[in-house]
Amino acid sequence: MRSRLVLVVLLAAILVAALATLAAGRLGVGPADLLDAARGQASTRTLFVLERLRGPRLLVAVGVGAAFGIAGSLFQTVTRNPLGSPDVIGLGAGAGAGMAMTTLLAPGSVPAPVGAVLGAGAAIALVHLSTGLGFASPARVIITGIGVSAMALALTQYVVAVALRDASSQLAGYLVGSLNSRGPEHVATIALALLLLCPLVALLAHDLRQMDLGDQLADALGARAVRTRSLAILLAVLLSAAAVSVSGPISFVALAAPHIARRVLAAPGPHLTASALVGALMMVLADLLVQQEGPLENLPVGVITAAVGGVYLGYLLIHAWRRADA
Amino acid sequence: MPDVGTDRAAGRWGEDSSLALRAVEVGYGERMVLQGLDLEVPRGRFTAVIGPNGCGKSTMLRTVARTLRPRAGEVLLDGRPLGSWRSREIARRIALLPQDPVVPEGITVRALVARGRHPHRSALRPRGPGDDEAISRALHATEVDDLAELPVAGLSGGQRQRVWIAMILAQDTEYVLLDEPTSFLDAAHQIDVLRLCQEMRAEGRTVLAVLHDLDQAARTADHLVVMRGGRIVASGAPGEVLDEELVRDVFSLRSRIIVDPVHGTPMVIPLSRDRGASA
Repeated sequence: MRSRLVLVVLLAAILVAALATLAAGRLGVGPADLLDAARGQASTRTLFVLERLRGPRLLVAVGVGAAFGIAGSLFQTVTRNPLGSPDVIGLGAGAGAGMAMTTLLAPGSVPAPVGAVLGAGAAIALVHLSTGLGFASPARVIITGIGVSAMALALTQYVVAVALRDASSQLAGYLVGSLNSRGPEHVATIALALLLLCPLVALLAHDLRQMDLGDQLADALGARAVRTRSLAILLAVLLSAAAVSVSGPISFVALAAPHIARRVLAAPGPHLTASALVGALMMVLADLLVQQEGPLENLPVGVITAAVGGVYLGYLLIHAWRRADA
Repeated sequence: MPDVGTDRAAGRWGEDSSLALRAVEVGYGERMVLQGLDLEVPRGRFTAVIGPNGCGKSTMLRTVARTLRPRAGEVLLDGRPLGSWRSREIARRIALLPQDPVVPEGITVRALVARGRHPHRSALRPRGPGDDEAISRALHATEVDDLAELPVAGLSGGQRQRVWIAMILAQDTEYVLLDEPTSFLDAAHQIDVLRLCQEMRAEGRTVLAVLHDLDQAARTADHLVVMRGGRIVASGAPGEVLDEELVRDVFSLRSRIIVDPVHGTPMVIPLSRDRGASA
């Protein structure tokens, strides 16, 4: 029952962080204003903040965080490696590059989410081809993925530099991810993606739970290892691409959320729901930080997740090496 | 050891059930491992598969459980090719314990044994009928009840192997395939595992196990299948199959065969490596 309690606590934490996001600062919408809005008596200012400024941004943060959390959990389960995460292996960067190329070099050709899916698909295909073993060796997937990720980031920088010249804030949006000025269309994209993909993830979870027994035993139990892995990667690609298409390639949420979920649940296995909630909480908190006055004000939110996540990645690596030496 | 389940008469499994391989060819890349292998798995018996290293024993087991697909020929379950069965249906009929299974991080004995129930569950029905009963019966039969809440990682080799067998028992299949279940165990724990195999057979299951130790195979199994170079070269009761000529041909080993004074089964005394024979 610990797991149920943890999920409730996570949900409460997201709610508190969300209320804080709405209430903080000069344009804050406090609990009293929210009650007025619920009764349909809100002021124009409150409505403007809720519907145009902070509301969409908050919902995008929750949706993107959940999508990254699920994608990371799927990936780490099928690669059986704590570093096997869509952001580490270049999916996020690939989606960002695909989106930059389609929206900046050929504007109007395809919608941004389609560009993101194409980019993420190209990145995963490149990883699959370069390992020589497909996805069978997690270590190779991660090493080639880091290379693919670097190439994709370089490509994005080039495309953005050519197309936009001095627009450094937009560059940041494509490279590290940002939630500045998100609108209802962004909310709709990520909500639709989650509505369509989460039921499929839930169906797959049944077989996914057997993957930690190794391919042979998973097969023998009827969990069809190769098929399950392929479907999990496909769903992770789609979730990552959807998230990147509304927020840019925000790093480390997909990597860290499943680990944190496992830690707080104190139980092994993929925890898809908890990973989604932890991812959402991370995003809301990071975005709350950059919306406050001070040194972090208006930084792209991806800078925060990258800074915090970089430290966490280092910790994971050191931990893994220590264990390997022991 | 307690009985694996007396409530269950032999014949609980369908009368016309059968498992057979027909001209099966399996290869990894260029290398062909099984070359036109035919086998009728004897129902309700404990069959030991023996043969030299690399002769395709493990590959055959994996092919029977459809964790490998044959390039040619077919595996027939109840006369129907395995390819036409749904994976979960196969997993409800055939269980496979690989040679070196992976223990999931942090898993407890009970949670690992419960994994055996997977084919009886589904995404829409996360707890299958009879789950609790099957799990506690499997824990009891393998005498790991007391360990149920402990992490598997902390167990000894002998305990761990009994836990894996409990998982296979919880799967509750008619056919049980075991790939070298006694390797890496000391003598007493080997006997534990083999007795569990005999008990599974006693309750009507068909057991097919790859064994390395020839004397052990002859002593405990009631049917031997001898493989060499991806083919079956002999099969039958241990007393009829195992002779000095076969040991020389199959294992390139000169030997003397005597009768085990206690069990009355053949025992192989190795004499010297036979350099003349092609292995």
